[in-house]
Amino acid sequence: MILSRISVSIALGLVLLGTSAGLKYAQHVDLIEPDTAKRLVQVMIGLMLAGYANVMPKNLGTWPASPVAVARAQSALRVGGWSLTLAGFVYAGLWALAPLEFANLASMAIVATALFITMGYGARTLLACRATRIG
Amino acid sequence: VLDKARRLANYLNVSTVFKALADPTRRQVLQLLRQGPLSAGELADHFPVSKPTMSAHFAVLRESGLVDSDKHGKTVMYRLKMSVLEEALMEFSGLLGLNLSQRKASK
Repeated sequence: MILSRISVSIALGLVLLGTSAGLKYAQHVDLIEPDTAKRLVQVMIGLMLAGYANVMPKNLGTWPASPVAVARAQSALRVGGWSLTLAGFVYAGLWALAPLEFANLASMAIVATALFITMGYGARTLLACRATRIG
Repeated sequence: VLDKARRLANYLNVSTVFKALADPTRRQVLQLLRQGPLSAGELADHFPVSKPTMSAHFAVLRESGLVDSDKHGKTVMYRLKMSVLEEALMEFSGLLGLNLSQRKASK
């Protein structure tokens, strides 16, 4: 399972590198504009983020002893999965359609917000679990 | 081509997911599990169906990988194991009121 996940990640990395190299060559021989190459790579990055975040709620791990802990872990993974998946799609959409300068700023803001939500909710969940254990 | 597409869908577990989400009872089970893990008995209490029917629903959900189960003594506990897109697909089929299993039975 872990091996297959690693192979998928390596394959995706190779696809990204291959596409970047191909686009660089296409740009070098004047087949495409430099902006188009940049946009395509960024769209791929956004879609990869969405793809990875999509399966985030499925990675539950082993069953914790308490049902409350299961529920909290599940909700943290769902919040993270949803926010990062949506951020990935918005990132890809911005790089595909928006003006470059706007896409550059807005895409970073979107991903940063999604990360903040994911980590904030995760930390809140962890603290709630600890408080329950102490109480 | 169809055979190849079917084989690819099976490989990607897509057909089993669609099959699981096509039934309103199974969708309702998944909705209940959104709040947290529940035992098979607790889930069955929400539905006016027999235990074997409920077990069949649980088997389909397990096979599709949408839920995860664990045995705690004599109780089987279930928890949600859905990806974001699977959850969105469930909402979408709920909005459409999709009920393929009933359609199949009425034919």
